[in-house]
Amino acid sequence: MATMPIKKLPANPKSPMLQPLIYKSVVTIYRIFAIITLYVVLGGVLAYGFVMGFYALNTSWAAPVILSPVDDKSLDFTEKLVTSRQTLEELNVDKKRLEEGVAEMNKHKTALLALEPELQAAIVREKKHNQATGPQLLELDKQKQSDNLKTQAVMAQVKQVEATIDKDLAAGLITKGDAATQRAALNQAQSSYTDSKIGEVLLTDSILEKTTTDTKSLDVLDKQAELISEIAQLDIAIGVAQKQLHEENQQIDRLKQALATAKQTPYYLTASGDTTVYFAFVPYDNRNSVSTGTSVYDCYLNMIACKKVGSVKQIFSGEEHAIHPIFRTDMRGFLIQLQLDHPESAKSKTVFLNRKPLFF
Amino acid sequence: MAPILVCLILVLCLLISVVKYTLALILKWSVPKAVVKKDYTYQPTVSVLMPCFNEGKTVYETIESISKSNYPNDKFEVIAQDDCSVDDSYEWMLKAQRDFTNIRVRVGRNTVNSGKARSVCNALQLSTADMIISIDSDCIFHPDAIRELAACFAEPNIGSVGGRVGVRNPNESTITAIQTFIYYAAFQVYKVPENWTRSVGCISGCLFAIRRELLLELEPKIRSRHWFGIPVNQGEDRFLTHQTLLRGYGTYINNDALCWTTVPSTLPNLFKQQLRWRRSIVRDLFYTLRTLPQHVWTLHPNTVLTLVLTPLGALLGLLVALTMLSGNPMEWAGPAPLILYLGLAAVLSWVIRKYSAREAVNNPLAFGAYLAWSLVSSLFITTLALCTLDSKDWGTRTKEQEAADGDDAHQEIAS
Repeated sequence: MATMPIKKLPANPKSPMLQPLIYKSVVTIYRIFAIITLYVVLGGVLAYGFVMGFYALNTSWAAPVILSPVDDKSLDFTEKLVTSRQTLEELNVDKKRLEEGVAEMNKHKTALLALEPELQAAIVREKKHNQATGPQLLELDKQKQSDNLKTQAVMAQVKQVEATIDKDLAAGLITKGDAATQRAALNQAQSSYTDSKIGEVLLTDSILEKTTTDTKSLDVLDKQAELISEIAQLDIAIGVAQKQLHEENQQIDRLKQALATAKQTPYYLTASGDTTVYFAFVPYDNRNSVSTGTSVYDCYLNMIACKKVGSVKQIFSGEEHAIHPIFRTDMRGFLIQLQLDHPESAKSKTVFLNRKPLFF
Repeated sequence: MAPILVCLILVLCLLISVVKYTLALILKWSVPKAVVKKDYTYQPTVSVLMPCFNEGKTVYETIESISKSNYPNDKFEVIAQDDCSVDDSYEWMLKAQRDFTNIRVRVGRNTVNSGKARSVCNALQLSTADMIISIDSDCIFHPDAIRELAACFAEPNIGSVGGRVGVRNPNESTITAIQTFIYYAAFQVYKVPENWTRSVGCISGCLFAIRRELLLELEPKIRSRHWFGIPVNQGEDRFLTHQTLLRGYGTYINNDALCWTTVPSTLPNLFKQQLRWRRSIVRDLFYTLRTLPQHVWTLHPNTVLTLVLTPLGALLGLLVALTMLSGNPMEWAGPAPLILYLGLAAVLSWVIRKYSAREAVNNPLAFGAYLAWSLVSSLFITTLALCTLDSKDWGTRTKEQEAADGDDAHQEIAS
C-alpha cells in the first residue's frame, strides 16, 4: 500500500503536576459560567415568550408617538393647510364680487320692471285717447272737406271779382288804391282756402294716426320689447351668478369643514402649537380601551411596575399606519392625544390605557 | 454597531456559501481533477470495525449487507465490538457470525461501556488489515462500498476516505424528509469544493476509511482525548478527519461508496443528535483557533477556510437569530424565506428523485419546516452545545448506560 510519511505534531509542554489543577479550575469556572448562561438563556426565552404572548393577547397598549413640525407628514399637512386657507380667501373675495354683481343686476332689473308698467299704461292711455278723438276728427274732416268744397266754389267767384276789379280800374270806376285793397282781400281769401286745404290734409294725417297703427306706435312697441328682453337677460345673468355663488358657497363650506376637520388632527396641533403635544398610536384591536379621560400608565420593561402618567385628552378619527413595537408588523389604527404629567413617558415603547396590564 | 457587525459577517458567510456552492457545481460538472483517480485493482486487506450499542437486530442486517460486498472475501473482515449493550445486540452479532460464513466476522465486547471512539480502538486491536473502515452499526452498505473506498487509497496522499450517507427512512416523518434533503445536498454539493483540494472537514463516522498506520498513530490521541481533563467520546469522525489533515494527508468523500442510515424521526432524538454534533463542531473550532498558526502554515487555504468558516457559521447563526428576533421577530415567518426554502426543496426533490430514487421524498413541502428548525437549531442547540462542552452524554443513551471512564475498557472476544 503506497503511503506517505506521517507528520508528527509537537507534544503538549504543560507540566503534568499542574495540569489537573488547571483543568479542574477551568472546568469549574466554565460550569459556573455555563449554568449562569443557561439560566439566563432560559430566563430570556421564557421572558421573550411571555412578552410575545402578552402583546399578542393584550388589548390596552398604545405606542407613544412624538410628532415634530418638521416631520414629512407634518410639513405636507402644513403645506396643504396653507393652500386650503389661500383658496378659501380667494373664494370669499370671489363670492363678495359675485354678490355685488347680483345685487347690481337685481337693482337694474327692478328699475326696468318698474318702467315696463308705466310704458304699458302710456300705450293704453294713448290708445284710449285715440279711440276717443279719432272719430271726432273724422267728423271734423268731413266737415272740413265740405267747407273746402264750398270755399272752392267761392274761390271761383273770386276770380270773376278779380277780373271785375281790373275792368273797374281800367274804367276808372275805382281808384288804384281801391283796386289794391280789393286784390289784397281776394289774396287773403285764396290764402285762407289754401290753409284750409292744408288743415284738411293735416287732419287726415291725424285721423290716420289715431285710427291705424303707425310707425310711432311700432317704435314704442319696439322699446317695450327691448325692455322685456333686457329684463330676461338680466334674469339669466342673475340666475347664472346665483348658481355660481351657490357653488362657491358650497365650496367654501366644504373647505371650512375640511379646515375644521384638519384642526382636529394631531398634525395641526403639531404644526400650529407652540407647546409640545404628545400622541400615541392605538391599533384598532385596542380601541375599546380608549375614551377621552382614560388613564394612561407607563410600565417598567413595557409591562410591569406601572404608574399613572396622564390621561387621554383627545381621540382622532383619522386612520394611521404604524409598525407593531414588538412584532414589527404593519398595523392600522388611530392616534390619541395624551395629557402627560411625566413627559418622559412619551419616549416609552408602549403605554397602557385604562388600567395596569398586570395589575401592578 | 453590533447588529451591523453581525450582518456584515452574515453577508460574508452567505457570500462564501454562494461561492462555495457555485464552485461546487462548476467543479462537479467540468473539472475532472476534483474527483480522485480511483484504481479498482488496488485491493488492500480491509477490517470493517463496527462498534455497537443497543442496536438490536439492526447489527445483523448491517453485517449481512457487508457480507454481500463486491470485494474479495479473503481480503476483508468484520470486527463487531459491542459496547455493553443492554439489549440483544450481542446475540445478533453472534448470530451474524454464525450465519455469514462467507466472510470472517469477529465479535468483541467491552467489559465496561466505553463510547464509540474507544470501541473502535478496542476493535482495532484485533485488526491486522492495511485499511480500516469504521462504520455505524445501524447502517446498510452498498455492495460496492468497500471496493469504492479502497480504490481511492491508490492516491498516496489520501489518508481518509468517506462514503456518501443516504437516508433509509426519508418518508417516515417530516423530520426525516428534511434530513434527506440536507444529507443529499451536503454530500453532492457542499463537500465537492472540499474534495477538490482533498480537504474534507468532516468525514461521516457512518462510513469512514483510514489507513491503518495513520489510525494506529492516532489511536493514543483518541483514547486520551479530553476536554480539560474530561474524557471526550463524541465526534471521533470529525476529530479523525481533522487529525488526518494535520498530519499532511488528504481527506476525500467518494459519493459512489454508499451506505444508508436511519435518521432520527422525532424531534427529541434529532435535537440530541444535533446537540452532539454541534458540540463536536464547537470543540473542533476551538481546537482550530487555538492552533490556527499551525493550520495556516501547513494546510491548504481551502482546508483552513473549511475548518474555520463551517463551524463559525454555526456560531454566527446564533447571533443572526438573536439579532433577527430582537429586531423583527416575525421576519423569519415571512413569505420570502419560505418561498426560498420551498424553491430549494423543489429543485432538490427533483434531483433526488432522478438520481437517487430510493431516497425520493414524497412530500417536498416538508422542507418548509426547516425554516423553523434552523431557528431552533441556531438559537438553542448552539447555546446548549457551548454550555455543555463538559458533557459525556451521547444523547440517545440513558445515564445508567453511560460509563464513567474510557480508555481502560476491557474486552471479551469471540472469534
